[in-house]
Amino acid sequence: MTAPLGLVVATERTPNTPHQFQFWTAIDSPVGIGTIVRVDGRQPVDGHIPHAYGIVTEGFSYTDLASPLFDVLGHDGDPGQSAFAPTERAEVRLYSAAVLRHVPEEPLQPVPMGEVSLATEADVAIALRMDGYLRDDANTGIPIGLYRSGGMDSAIYLDAEFLVGPEAAHLNITGVSGLATKTSAVEWLMATLFAHFPKSKGSVAAVCFNVKGPDLCFLDQPAELEETDRAMYETLGVPCAPFQNVRYFAPFKADNVSLNTLRSNEELLGNVQPLTWGLKEVLQFAEVLLNRDDVDAKADALIDFIKERVLDREFEDRVLREKHRVRSFADLEGWFRDLLSGLEDQGSEHWRTHHVATIRKVRNRLSNISTRCAGLVTNDGHTSDLPWGDFADRAVYVVDVALAEEDAQDLIFARVVSKLREHLEKRDLGVSHVVVFVDELNKYAPADGPETYVRKMLLDIAERGRYLGLVLFSAQQFRSQVHRRVVGNAGTALYGRMDGDELATPGYAVLSAATRTKLATLSKGQLMVRHPHFTQPIFVSFPRPAVMRGRDGVERFPQAADVPRDVGVLRQLRRFDPSLTLAWVQDVIGLHEDEDVLRALHATLAHAPDNVGAYFKSQFRKIIRATPAPAPARTPLRVLPDDDPYAI
Amino acid sequence: MIDAEGAEDATLRARLVQGVPVPAIRAFLDGTQRSQVIGWVGAFPLVYGTSAAVVRSRTERRLSTWDAPLVQHRVYVPLAYVLAHVARGDLERALGAMLEDTTRPALDGSIPAPHPTLLLERATLAVSRDRERLELALAERWCASRGEPIMIDGGIGASEAVAQSSCAVGVVKSHRTLYAEGDALAIVLALKKGERSSVIRVAPRGRSEVLSWYLRLRDAEGRDALWGLVRVEMCVRSRESISERADELSRWLLAESMPLAAPDPRWDRMAYGIRSAEEFLRATTN
Repeated sequence: MTAPLGLVVATERTPNTPHQFQFWTAIDSPVGIGTIVRVDGRQPVDGHIPHAYGIVTEGFSYTDLASPLFDVLGHDGDPGQSAFAPTERAEVRLYSAAVLRHVPEEPLQPVPMGEVSLATEADVAIALRMDGYLRDDANTGIPIGLYRSGGMDSAIYLDAEFLVGPEAAHLNITGVSGLATKTSAVEWLMATLFAHFPKSKGSVAAVCFNVKGPDLCFLDQPAELEETDRAMYETLGVPCAPFQNVRYFAPFKADNVSLNTLRSNEELLGNVQPLTWGLKEVLQFAEVLLNRDDVDAKADALIDFIKERVLDREFEDRVLREKHRVRSFADLEGWFRDLLSGLEDQGSEHWRTHHVATIRKVRNRLSNISTRCAGLVTNDGHTSDLPWGDFADRAVYVVDVALAEEDAQDLIFARVVSKLREHLEKRDLGVSHVVVFVDELNKYAPADGPETYVRKMLLDIAERGRYLGLVLFSAQQFRSQVHRRVVGNAGTALYGRMDGDELATPGYAVLSAATRTKLATLSKGQLMVRHPHFTQPIFVSFPRPAVMRGRDGVERFPQAADVPRDVGVLRQLRRFDPSLTLAWVQDVIGLHEDEDVLRALHATLAHAPDNVGAYFKSQFRKIIRATPAPAPARTPLRVLPDDDPYAI
Repeated sequence: MIDAEGAEDATLRARLVQGVPVPAIRAFLDGTQRSQVIGWVGAFPLVYGTSAAVVRSRTERRLSTWDAPLVQHRVYVPLAYVLAHVARGDLERALGAMLEDTTRPALDGSIPAPHPTLLLERATLAVSRDRERLELALAERWCASRGEPIMIDGGIGASEAVAQSSCAVGVVKSHRTLYAEGDALAIVLALKKGERSSVIRVAPRGRSEVLSWYLRLRDAEGRDALWGLVRVEMCVRSRESISERADELSRWLLAESMPLAAPDPRWDRMAYGIRSAEEFLRATTN
């Protein structure tokens, strides 16, 4: 128990209520906005001395002056004279506190008059109801940071059942850009979640979409931390180390050999894998890329027909000249060409209820996808994907879409989340819980604007994901501009430093003016936390992530420059066999078309054989090197006599 | 001059206080009193009075309460007339040590007339006397134990010990009694800010002799002549010359003109420390 630092005070005009009270302190007390205090009542109720726990939400200070004019007069209008005043004017420090918890909780009464003291570590646990989930026999606490007050540090825990489900789930982070709040916070959160998620609750992995810059590109590289950060890691029981199991996925650039990511430095390519999809994968999510103007009901019907009847099947028709098995965009283009040619030959405008104009339109739109998503979508149907069914516990899968085109970003997001959902439903993903981190939620799930496929998916995760173990960790700069159902379903909300305009929006009206001011001035490493167990927001400090910052990473591991085809191929193959040389690659691919080289490369990457070189080489058909034909012997038309006198 | 004689100059004159104001006062003493009629026995009033005194000492520009404040609650009863209606035993049982008789016989054996208004005034006067007694008790305790400069609200002559203590500075804000008349009074009323009158020796009946002078704390131009005017009292035993000591104490008092004792209506003459003492007693004796 700490010494009292204040006394509860209530008047008829400002009475105590069950949810709010006021107290005064000495001028030099360590109380501030966000401080947790304990009130000890004086009179027992039902045989128990009541205790109330509260968090300071507002502070007042005033003197015995009735009007500022008296102070002006007292100093003869010269502020400099205040230094000569022999006595400091009497000053009051008065604080408003919101009640966190009453003990006992019934009967619920106004906060009693009594002494106010700083909450001890044990008091903080009671006040925030953490005692309910930090029991030795059932500890589901995930440390989020340290609450600091009066020289005391208390670890603050979130309840895993309310962070990852099933009771509640999802987490949303808001904060201005450039203060390392959002990315740092989510990196720290993943570290603490992996360190403390109870084994008894199952396994957990994270899928992070890197949507801008190099933010999440170096999660497996260590950071340079200060001693204070290391101490926080130790206090909170989280290993001060980068993530041990991280895999990166990024589409190719348009050249289809260079990875389109800022993590393209050769030193780091060991765990970077191409993300490429073929026709089958893309066609399932055609809706993502084709807007309503593109796809009316008729076009939709034809796309469904292709998906159900044409894709990956032997398909023949009297209009077609030959049998088709469509596995790639190239195959599909051949199928369309054959079909339209057949219809022209027959002079027909309809095929199986589909008008030729609809067929042309769908051909145009679908063919266009491989152009719009070049590098992600392969013409040859090759697929390099996340390890569906083989996700590892405590692993991070980063899907780097930062440099991808917007269409490709949407497609990647929609398909990855759908596949996660599909596998979690079937319980065959490899882990029982997946945290999906999406930044820039303003863009992907805006409060207004057209209904997009991506927004629908985010809403679906937010509203139903927790039953599956699909958890959304999202972040944005302006919470007010994100769809209400997405942020509203986030059981836990974190707030870093906020923009004043954002704080002026109605969503923050529940916070006191002082709390809003504190939010507007939070320093790096500080967060305000809302969690279902906490009846009021709590301010905590968290350590710098133990992983290399994006901007440090790009300096230390500069992005690889665009390279010729042969060098690009070599880089990819050397991930598996570092002994391969450029000369060898040039020798193997030198005479082959780009299309063949890519097909061979994709096949090699997909199979990852023991002998990469041999496998890669075997993918090419034999080309006999052309040898120049010997020049025919020249037969003179007429041989001149040696002594021809007219020859000159 | 009335009941006073010059101690510094043959005739009273205005003197500019030499030197710059220097804060040296270490404590402020004041008392409060409150009385209210709580009942009547026949035509005779029963008055409940509270008198209190406190010293607010100053450390590093902050004021805090020195020692324990003295607070006294009494019921002032005109026993000579009330006993005809109520048995003394009943009164003593009900009031115990709080019982205070307002009809004690004078030296000549007379008792006040049974006039309700007169008895009410006597009760109020008794409360005032009790307040003064508490103030003096605290002042004596301070002077005996601390000996550091203390500003006392009012005169210091009521206690021999205080009147002879060099640490006590009495500051009289009300001027019901003026110790000057004629030309001397005109000089007093014409004092400018930072000026004082010549020191005089005053010895009111029943009080110890003290040295006193008038001091103008604030510029009274455009206001009434008593604006910002106080009368200062100090002991007659002073090792320094009277002029030097009067200037020194005047400098101390001028330094106390900040911060303003507003919103008290007497802020032109009241030191902030004295107001602090009054506010403390108002808050704690309600």
